[in-house]
Amino acid sequence: MKLRRGLLIIGLLTPGLGLILALIGTVVYIAVSQSFGYYSLNGTNEFSTEFWSKMAGRKAFKRSIQYSIYIGVFSAIFSVALAYPLAIWLRKPFAGSNFIGAVLKAPLLVHGLVAAFLFINVISYHGILNQFMQWLGIWSEPRRLQNDPNAYGVLILQTWKNMPFALLLLTGAVQSISDDVLDAARDLGAGTWDRFRRIIAPLTVSGMQAAMVIIFIGAVADFSFQVIAGPTNKQSLSQLMVSFKGRGDWHSAAVVGVSLMMIALVGSAILAVVARMVMRGRIK
Amino acid sequence: MVAIKIERLTKKFGDFTALSNVSLDVQPEEFVTLLGPSGCGKTTLLKLISGFLEPSEGSIKIGGTDVTHVPPEKRDTALCFQSYALFPHLTVRENLEFGPRQKKIPASERKTRIDDVSEKLDLTAQMEKLPNQLSGGQQQRVSLGRALAMRPSVILFDEPLSNLDAKLRDQVRIEIRRIQKEYGLTAIYVTHDQAEALAMSDRIVVLNNGRVEQVDSPELLYHAPKTKFVADFIGDANIFSGTIVGQKGENIVQVETAIGTIEFETPTAPTSKKVNLCWRPESAVIGNTGIKAKVVHRAFQGHFTDLMVETNGTIFRVQAKRVEAQEGDDVQLSVAPNEVILLDQSA
Ligand SMILES: Nc1ncnc2c1ncn2[C@@H]1O[C@H](COP(=O)(O)OP(=O)(O)OP(=O)(O)O)[C@@H](O)[C@H]1O
Ligand SMILES: [Mg+2]
Repeated sequence: MKLRRGLLIIGLLTPGLGLILALIGTVVYIAVSQSFGYYSLNGTNEFSTEFWSKMAGRKAFKRSIQYSIYIGVFSAIFSVALAYPLAIWLRKPFAGSNFIGAVLKAPLLVHGLVAAFLFINVISYHGILNQFMQWLGIWSEPRRLQNDPNAYGVLILQTWKNMPFALLLLTGAVQSISDDVLDAARDLGAGTWDRFRRIIAPLTVSGMQAAMVIIFIGAVADFSFQVIAGPTNKQSLSQLMVSFKGRGDWHSAAVVGVSLMMIALVGSAILAVVARMVMRGRIK
Repeated sequence: MVAIKIERLTKKFGDFTALSNVSLDVQPEEFVTLLGPSGCGKTTLLKLISGFLEPSEGSIKIGGTDVTHVPPEKRDTALCFQSYALFPHLTVRENLEFGPRQKKIPASERKTRIDDVSEKLDLTAQMEKLPNQLSGGQQQRVSLGRALAMRPSVILFDEPLSNLDAKLRDQVRIEIRRIQKEYGLTAIYVTHDQAEALAMSDRIVVLNNGRVEQVDSPELLYHAPKTKFVADFIGDANIFSGTIVGQKGENIVQVETAIGTIEFETPTAPTSKKVNLCWRPESAVIGNTGIKAKVVHRAFQGHFTDLMVETNGTIFRVQAKRVEAQEGDDVQLSVAPNEVILLDQSA
């Protein structure tokens, strides 16, 4: 009986979980092996830490790590920070709220590359933003906004693309809080900010964590926004990885790839813990 | 000084008038109950007092200050929710401390209050539990304690006992009254249970369709209802309309009704010939005089017997202590003129 049950569970899980584990497992295995010198395309197959030590010494690598973490963390924070008020606003249905919700989720349907090209067109030297600011008389001449060195363009695109996702998760979480609980807090003297800080935030922390982590992982590995709208003097980890591969240096590319995975893993764990501490620590 | 002064309060939701022209004065330390059928506007009135709704017209004063447009977080009222509305992520202690913390009460004073409240409500053993680890009765007490820890001048209850079983309800009812007296609180209590209202209140406000039908002590409401609605809603009542046919002596008026002639006592004769009368089932005396009736249903209730009797096709209720008559028997009954109540003509 127990055996049959166990087999049944395994049988049900295998198609989904098995495939995922097999795929992830293979990828991780190959990447890690390659970063240590195995699976070489030109034949020599021996263990070596050379690629790791060389990479660790490269300035470009360190800069890429910093840059990718910067993009990952701020994309996650901005997306969630924008999604919260919207989720709270859309908590109770009102005339037009469904429509607003749908419009806000539209970015989920637009491919990142398309969005990036649109964005570039809007902010280009002769684009409508420059024209508009000049027409208003705020700027006397067009400004160069494209590929700005602080990567504000990338952050805007990341936030635009990911906010709807955060909104989706947070709307569910916020809607599950009962009106009476919020009214009780209000009755006991909690204003808008205190209600958020002491009731809504702690009760939605799980949804917020999930949003943070998933957005962080996506943004830390950003390639397409970076290529089109990112600063020209900085490379994201994905970009660096691709550039090594382009030069045929698969081992170094693997080192960057494995680093990226580790950063995603460790980074999201840290982010999740910090987010919980910030939200829950406020109870007192 | 009055604790709460409500003047000509009206609340409309779109075209629908939920409350219309309600006026009420509540004295300090008084326990007032809002009683009425579902949908009559009890919760609406409570939300207006606590500030969650703004009136369409009229004003509310608490302790002499006009609070009509003051938001709930700034009002000196505390509301006990029917659903308890405890904060699920906070322990009992943190729930109790929530209000005092918001009010920036110093830690030492806070501790005194929480200790006091938790002891009075017998919650000391539950302080570190989360709400979902408590029984219904305990949750109810935490919700009460959370409001009490605010030391509000007015405490409001919205059907706080409806989720408790009958026995616990009796117990908590007494508890609430005791605490309210001990803290000297002015209380407004919402219920649709007339027995609860009669047992607990100093005064009862009977609401119907968003209007005040009558405001009186439980005794007066029971013995001197002013309208058909109140007579019917509170306790059992036999209500008859009839025509005045004569007068007996100084102040006894004779009225012809569907079941025969009924006499009632009044200091001033009614202005119109058509009147509505009511009397309580226990006012009838079964004997050898008066109205002849046939028993159609008999139910022994222990301390009294409940009879449904019929006269000329009209069925009404009689309750008496010792009744020999069985179903199908004929009885004779009379009601003393001072037990018959004259109701408002309008309703
Ligand atoms: N926000 C609202 N919008 C429209 N109508 C409302 C609103 N709130 C209440 N009402 C209406 O006002 C009337 C009074 O509602 P209220 O909640 O005060 O009733 P109640 O006396 O508390 O009833 P119950 O005993 O069932 O709780 C009802 O007919 C209700 O449908
Ligand atoms: Mg109600």
